[in-house]
Amino acid sequence: MTTNSLPPSVIATLPGHYYTDETVFTLEQSRIFERMWVCAVRAADLDKPGAFRTVRIGRESVLVTRSKDGSVRAFLNVCRHRGARICTEESGQVRRAFQCPYHAWTYDLDGKLIAAPNLTKMPDIDRVEFGLVKVHVREWLGYVWVCLADEPEPFEDEVQAQVVSRLGDLGSIHNYGMEDLALAKRVVYDVRANWKLIIENFMECYHCATIHPELTEVLPEFAEGLATQLYVGHGAEFGADVQGFTVDGSPGAERIPGVAESQDRRYYGLTVKPLTFINLVPDHVILHRIFPVAIDQTVVECDWLFRQDVVDGGRDLSASIELFHRVNVQDFDACERCQPAMGSRAYARGGVLVPTEHHIGGFHEWVLERLGTD
Amino acid sequence: MIPACPLSALPRGEAVRLDTDPPIAVFHTEDGELYAVDDTCTHQDASLADGWLEGCEVECPLHASRFDLRTGQVDAPPAKLPVRTHGVVVEDGMVHVVPSELPPNLPPGLRTPGRA
Repeated sequence: MTTNSLPPSVIATLPGHYYTDETVFTLEQSRIFERMWVCAVRAADLDKPGAFRTVRIGRESVLVTRSKDGSVRAFLNVCRHRGARICTEESGQVRRAFQCPYHAWTYDLDGKLIAAPNLTKMPDIDRVEFGLVKVHVREWLGYVWVCLADEPEPFEDEVQAQVVSRLGDLGSIHNYGMEDLALAKRVVYDVRANWKLIIENFMECYHCATIHPELTEVLPEFAEGLATQLYVGHGAEFGADVQGFTVDGSPGAERIPGVAESQDRRYYGLTVKPLTFINLVPDHVILHRIFPVAIDQTVVECDWLFRQDVVDGGRDLSASIELFHRVNVQDFDACERCQPAMGSRAYARGGVLVPTEHHIGGFHEWVLERLGTD
Repeated sequence: MIPACPLSALPRGEAVRLDTDPPIAVFHTEDGELYAVDDTCTHQDASLADGWLEGCEVECPLHASRFDLRTGQVDAPPAKLPVRTHGVVVEDGMVHVVPSELPPNLPPGLRTPGRA
């Protein structure tokens, strides 16, 4: 069957090789992940000057830290001398400088080269010019977003506009006061699937009635298979007898103060391309940061954020956390089920999208458009 | 005496490196004291003026040996020898260094003239 002969109900997916071909993945790294704003680090994880995290963005390791004046900085994690990786740990704390473990080139928290053996004998070495290569940063929603492009698109146009197109305005997400929420749980999932399978899965709910029994109990309309993301401003309503966004419908935690009445008892899911999901419910926020590490491997870091007083109070949040943890496992199992088949002859021309999935075609067009531009 | 800089150009917590042979670093501590020592760490060619001044000590920016600016003594390896200390005089708002007449403790590679 060719694309031309598809019946009108369905449209084509991407061909299978988009999920298996290394050259496609390299293009995605250079033209998507290394060009766009990516949600990289939770800002509160950088709790004081010198605290750092290293994250993989595209083909680069990025060092994200906080400088002495409290502002966030990000650099390519590469010594300007001979290219050694400066920080090999995923997280840590330096006192006042980053030092390359190879020849001890030493950079301050703003990335400036401040010392190196024999440096005073080389007065022509400009210490800013030979500082760590800077990466653009922006703090929003309590997270540090980074962009590896030399000249990033305006954050408002690239990131915030996606939120506006989903929720109708920025106020709706700011109501959740994410920068003031506390981390109750973080789970890191190592998913043996291409990153696009994870995005596509999150964008549709055709699978919900089959693989998400607990979620469809809490959000009955999900069983209809319609993606709530299709409707601007729409949040899926909790079932009538459901008391909270929990694995068993039991009451959740105290509501986040800024959440509007119209947002109460509703779930809003947002895809922020290329690599972030945000899930809003009245008493917590679940944020997924997605790190594609190989054509067939993606690391997903999922944070559960509640009110500071709720977390400090030590109350049992396991029923809340368990719901979306289960959803994550169910979703990622499905993605891992698809990945090995992407190279099959049966999927060489791809599969099909049913009407409730047609909007995924828009994601595919977006990917193709990004890959086609240089 | 070697003129270093106007006192007004050397705020507390800062250091200035003099391009003497060997170079000398003058430190102005947070407490307002002035000290001068050889600028080069005795372990490897690194500028102590680029290091971290804390109280009356400076920490080498490369390998974290700390030198007492009053005595030149080092607290811990990798540096083993003290740095040479110099006198400091302020006259008419100008900082001057009175160089030591003792031999310096320069790191290997800087000890032989012409091999620096």
